[in-house]
Amino acid sequence: MIPLIGLLAGIVVGLVLEPSIPLALQPYLPIAIVAAMDAIFGAFRAYLEGSFSDRVFVVSFVSNVLIAAAIVYVGDQIGVGSQLSTGVVVVLAIRIFTNVAAIRRVLFRA
Amino acid sequence: MDLLLQVVRQPVDPDYAAVADRGGTSSRGHWRLALVTVVIGVLFAVAALQTSRSAPVQQSERRELISRVRTAETEQDDLRARATALSADITALRSAALSGDAGSRDLQRRVEQLDAATGNVAVTGPGVEVVVDDASTSGDERDQVLDLDLQILVNGLWQAGAEAVAVNGHRLSSLTAIRSAGDAITVDYRSLNRPYRVEAIGDRRTMPAAFAESAAGAWWHDLSQSRGMRFELTDSSELTLPADPGLTLRWARATS
Repeated sequence: MIPLIGLLAGIVVGLVLEPSIPLALQPYLPIAIVAAMDAIFGAFRAYLEGSFSDRVFVVSFVSNVLIAAAIVYVGDQIGVGSQLSTGVVVVLAIRIFTNVAAIRRVLFRA
Repeated sequence: MDLLLQVVRQPVDPDYAAVADRGGTSSRGHWRLALVTVVIGVLFAVAALQTSRSAPVQQSERRELISRVRTAETEQDDLRARATALSADITALRSAALSGDAGSRDLQRRVEQLDAATGNVAVTGPGVEVVVDDASTSGDERDQVLDLDLQILVNGLWQAGAEAVAVNGHRLSSLTAIRSAGDAITVDYRSLNRPYRVEAIGDRRTMPAAFAESAAGAWWHDLSQSRGMRFELTDSSELTLPADPGLTLRWARATS
């Protein structure tokens, strides 16, 4: 329940306050979102399997976002930023798909 | 493949299982969980806002730029029309002033001849009309007509005996340049639309053959054969080329 409320509250806060992201951080925003989605679906699957843990979720989210941003940052410095962000997005998207498929199997038994 | 298989087989953080095995599903970290979910929600909202906000801004900026270009072009056209009308006035006044004795009539004839040769007045006569265009079959950049190709074509026409040349209705004089600006070719600082129509006044019987024999003819033969560009040369019994409205010397003086 807490995660759902938190998510909705965050969306409302974002829409109301409209915080402006510094220009230097803007390229990392989409990557951070994909990393966050990966963490969310992983956590949801763990929750359905009965092994959810707050601490692991928080740590996995923060490290996901930081590592994804770091990879893209390094890529930007050496001139392959867009390719590396594509790589990050592909890997995270595969994980999201696998997790969502597992969640679907558990929820709908199909 | 090993990497992809690993990604697919281990999509959930193995720490979840490890922590669950230790039986450590503590309830202390609820506020951290709430904080992280709020942060994720803010991320979603901000990204969605930014994407939806920047799209119409870019669109409207583009539209405004286009309309500004259009306005400037219309203004330029107006000014050119005025310059042409004024130079017609000048010609009329000068011929009125020079209608006296034999000496001034001689001067008048010389002025008329030079006017036609330099592009200061509209001229008419027989000649050839060349229509060239990009190869339509592919979007390849190398199959497009470049400013260099147009320059070679025009130079070939001069070489073939043209006395006056205009590209898409823009008369070429000693002050007009054919060059590319962005994606478009400009003549006399006006951007052209495809297809490019080059009119040249001269001997319509000898010009096509002379052009075909010149280096420019070989260049364009190659372009149309190997690149598939359009190249059509037709002769015409009557062509009318306008004056170059920008033909004003501000610094150069005749040495008499």
